[in-house]
Amino acid sequence: MKSLHPLTWWIWSLLIVGALISANSSWLAGISIAGATILVWRFAADAPWARSFWFSLKLGAFILIIRTLVGILIGVPIPGTKLFELPILPLPSWLAGIRIGGVITQERLLSSIHEGLIIVAVISLFGAAVSLTSPHKLLRVTPVVIYEFGVATVIATSALPNLVQSISRIRRARLLRGDENPSWRSIALPLLEDSLSRSLELAAAMDARGYGVSRKRSRYRPISWRGIDSAVVLAAFLILSFTLAVSR
Amino acid sequence: MKTFTSDVYRFSLSSKIALALTSVFAAAGFTWPFFAPDMEGARFAQYFFWVAMPLAFLLLLTQLSDGSLDAKSVALLGMLAALLAALRPLGAGAIGIEPMWFLLILAARVFGSAFGFLLGALGMLASALFTGGIGPWLTYQIFAAGVIGLLAGAFAKELRGWREQIYLLLIAIVSALGYGLLMNLQFWPWALGTNTQLSFIPGGDIQINLRRFISFHFLSSMAWDIPRAILTSVLVLSTGPAVLSALRRTKKRAAFLTPIEFSERLS
Amino acid sequence: MINFSRVSLVYPTSTKTILEDLSFEIAEGEMVLVIGSTGTGKSSLLRLINGLVPHHTGGILAGDISVDGVSTQLVRPGELAHLVGIVGQNPAQGFVTDIVEEELAFGMEALNIAPDVMRKRVEEILDLLALAHLRNRAISTLSGGEQQRVAIGSALIMNPKVLVLDEPTSALDPIAAEEVLSILHRLVHDLSLTVVIAEHRLERVIGFADRIIHIAGDGSAEINLPEEILKRSEIAPPIVHLARALGLSDVGLSVREVRRMTEEIRTSGKDLPREVGQIGEIAIRTNKLSLTYGEKKALNEVSTQIHSGEIVALMGRNGAGKSSLLTTLVGINKLSSGSSEINGIKSVDLKGQVRRETVGFIPQEPSDLLYGQSVHGECQQADRDNQSAPGSTFALLKRIVPSINQQTHPRDLSEGQRLALALAIVISAQPKVLILDEPTRGLDYQSKALLISLLKNFAKELNRSVLIATHDVELVAELCDRVIFLAEGEVVADGPTLDILLSSPAFAPQVAKVMSPRPWLTVSDVMRAVAE
Repeated sequence: MKSLHPLTWWIWSLLIVGALISANSSWLAGISIAGATILVWRFAADAPWARSFWFSLKLGAFILIIRTLVGILIGVPIPGTKLFELPILPLPSWLAGIRIGGVITQERLLSSIHEGLIIVAVISLFGAAVSLTSPHKLLRVTPVVIYEFGVATVIATSALPNLVQSISRIRRARLLRGDENPSWRSIALPLLEDSLSRSLELAAAMDARGYGVSRKRSRYRPISWRGIDSAVVLAAFLILSFTLAVSR
Repeated sequence: MKTFTSDVYRFSLSSKIALALTSVFAAAGFTWPFFAPDMEGARFAQYFFWVAMPLAFLLLLTQLSDGSLDAKSVALLGMLAALLAALRPLGAGAIGIEPMWFLLILAARVFGSAFGFLLGALGMLASALFTGGIGPWLTYQIFAAGVIGLLAGAFAKELRGWREQIYLLLIAIVSALGYGLLMNLQFWPWALGTNTQLSFIPGGDIQINLRRFISFHFLSSMAWDIPRAILTSVLVLSTGPAVLSALRRTKKRAAFLTPIEFSERLS
Repeated sequence: MINFSRVSLVYPTSTKTILEDLSFEIAEGEMVLVIGSTGTGKSSLLRLINGLVPHHTGGILAGDISVDGVSTQLVRPGELAHLVGIVGQNPAQGFVTDIVEEELAFGMEALNIAPDVMRKRVEEILDLLALAHLRNRAISTLSGGEQQRVAIGSALIMNPKVLVLDEPTSALDPIAAEEVLSILHRLVHDLSLTVVIAEHRLERVIGFADRIIHIAGDGSAEINLPEEILKRSEIAPPIVHLARALGLSDVGLSVREVRRMTEEIRTSGKDLPREVGQIGEIAIRTNKLSLTYGEKKALNEVSTQIHSGEIVALMGRNGAGKSSLLTTLVGINKLSSGSSEINGIKSVDLKGQVRRETVGFIPQEPSDLLYGQSVHGECQQADRDNQSAPGSTFALLKRIVPSINQQTHPRDLSEGQRLALALAIVISAQPKVLILDEPTRGLDYQSKALLISLLKNFAKELNRSVLIATHDVELVAELCDRVIFLAEGEVVADGPTLDILLSSPAFAPQVAKVMSPRPWLTVSDVMRAVAE
């Protein structure tokens, strides 16, 4: 899906998040997670930022587990079908008088999972939007009003591969100076010096090429909004409308 | 005819106002669990801020990206942010081991608090782009990192030598713990939910909520904040003089606020 | 096109006058070469043309500078971008983005040029500089020559009338340098572009220059025809030194000119006896050394020996395997098969102290070795590492560069001084073998001469070995006893310098080209042949 406008998936995910919130349904949350997974699996490019979604899933799972565990251990009891019981362990009173354990009910468990699932779904949708959008493209549609900050971001992201090259170069030089285990300090300082003098050269080059002369800037290859972008956004919008209507 | 070359980035009056307004909004974004009127309000607040914080920050950036972000400041920002982004994942996810803070503090010290704010924000953003850890918490992280940069560059600008080291050590500790506090604040409502004994109570008494949060913070911060504070302090103290001198030499070579004079003949 | 009128320049932080009362005019379509020793103000002069000095750097400027009628006093450098394009010394450091096409478009976007105009210009530049097949590539993956072309493209994208380049060929191998210079030559003659170029190594550039500006260290400068300037300047390529040493009435600027003037000498000069150097024991030995990176075979059964007392050059195109061989020799890369030893010690066993005392390695960027806060600090660290008497490293350094200041930060040193510092640190460990990777990049003739005498002393007086990977044919002619030629990871030639350099026109030094078919490589060779 290389040709989609970089904002499309973001708008899509925001709309679905809206639907999730208004519906407040674990089922919808689960379906969203599954749907996002399929989309990312199918469409995400093979690039570093595509990791975002899987990271979100892992984080989501982690949150779910924490919530459930914490809910079991120190949850507020909800009366209902008893599942099992844990011994009660009172903690010192300065710790807000928490009690670990007690009767764990099915309602307790399900409530934790329900809440958790919605949060997980929201995080996954954010993650999916990130994975499906190339940051380079996103930078190219940054509004002109934050142009300077956008340039700084481009510089930062473009400098990263060079940093990696520099680090191995410097590390090699340290080995040659007889330093078998170069302290990170002996690599970091030359790296810092390198980066700083690089930035001065860069500033001169930018000034020479006209940066800062004009308050307005143009776009080299403007990315246009196409029919397929509208289709994706419309689909999400429909889902949102549906859930809003149903939850009234 | 005498003028000067550009200065390193500083906040204009309108930028300061924009920053103040955004800070108030961000403060609400961090502390809403203490003020949510009820469950519905809490749910609304959680997602509202998740969406609104990035927008607010975008608006702030619009104001900050005025003409005074010239080539020298932008180039320095970009390169230093790249270094921050490269440093951050070096802890390999080990809890609290985030070696980027010391560089942010030292750079903010040399280049000023406005620069520090943007550097913290950009460094966090670049790092997130680099590692792929982007989620609704990102704007909170960006803002918190910006605040640390702001703080580090703000006071006692005249200090040098061992006094400066002590001051920076203080900043390091306060920043590390402060960042942890802010992160826990935004983490608290959605990681725990509302029905644990440590959760916030929507509409509840502020004293009780505070107590709960403090317990939560205390229990979780041991693992994250203390190592972060120790690592940052150690790095600031051990690399401080070398890094500061490198940064200051660069500031000098960058020729900020250097006189430009056109005269008829040289005297 | 460019008019300097009584220009004097002083930087606010120092008292030294960089330029004093300089006046000259450069006409449209001229190619002007700027020469001068390191630190004399060549870069400042270049940056005056587009206003970076003083608007970007600060400074006190007297007099007036105008380009195509526009005075640099009144406008910022960026506003001159459509008139003057500038390419800095280190093009890789001047890139904003990491994609070729976006980099080219950056300047135009900043100046709010209309998108269709931008598209057209980008295509033109891609064609002009043969970059079309690289348009979507990441700049960090390009070769030095390709990066240089992207930098030139970024400067030319605004269709300027003047192009200013600061040492464009110093980081390039001879082939890439030739490419860049012929592109510039074409631009000057086809588009009437005015080009101002600063260079240390004059061999390649001298034939293209219409006029030369020579900047002396005291702020004065002279602009004149190349022949006039080179008659008297200490900075000159070998053919000029040759003409002056032979007492010729005119100074030739190209091999062809000097050849015409030296016909007599070619026929009459005596043959020089072959010098058989003292061959000591074997210091470096490789036997069927192979190195494979994944799929690629970087080195293929390289067998060679280097004896103590020998200075050997390692030559070959970029990517032929020179760096791989060097890094394998010192034990950084693990060889895949075969063997490699230095001084009897296997390369893989070279670690830490042992490595330091066996082999000294100066990488392409000597500053990678330096991380101290001052020259003094670096020398002290070296003394500590080698467990030698405090001050010994600095004493060694002082002998190489007497004028060096202890307190200077290593980054503030000139190229030559940094190399000298790195050499002092490395030599103070008294290694048996010295290995250098492209040491003469960015060095002016003076520093190069210093390096040559230092290395000769190290090898001959102390009976050690030196291995230099280099493109610099003139250096090899002056310094090296033997040349090993690598191509695609294999040894293609291995023999005495005289034989190897004379056998290929591409790698013959200027003097050899002039004196062909006589076997003389350097000016001193010729002088000796004539004297006898």
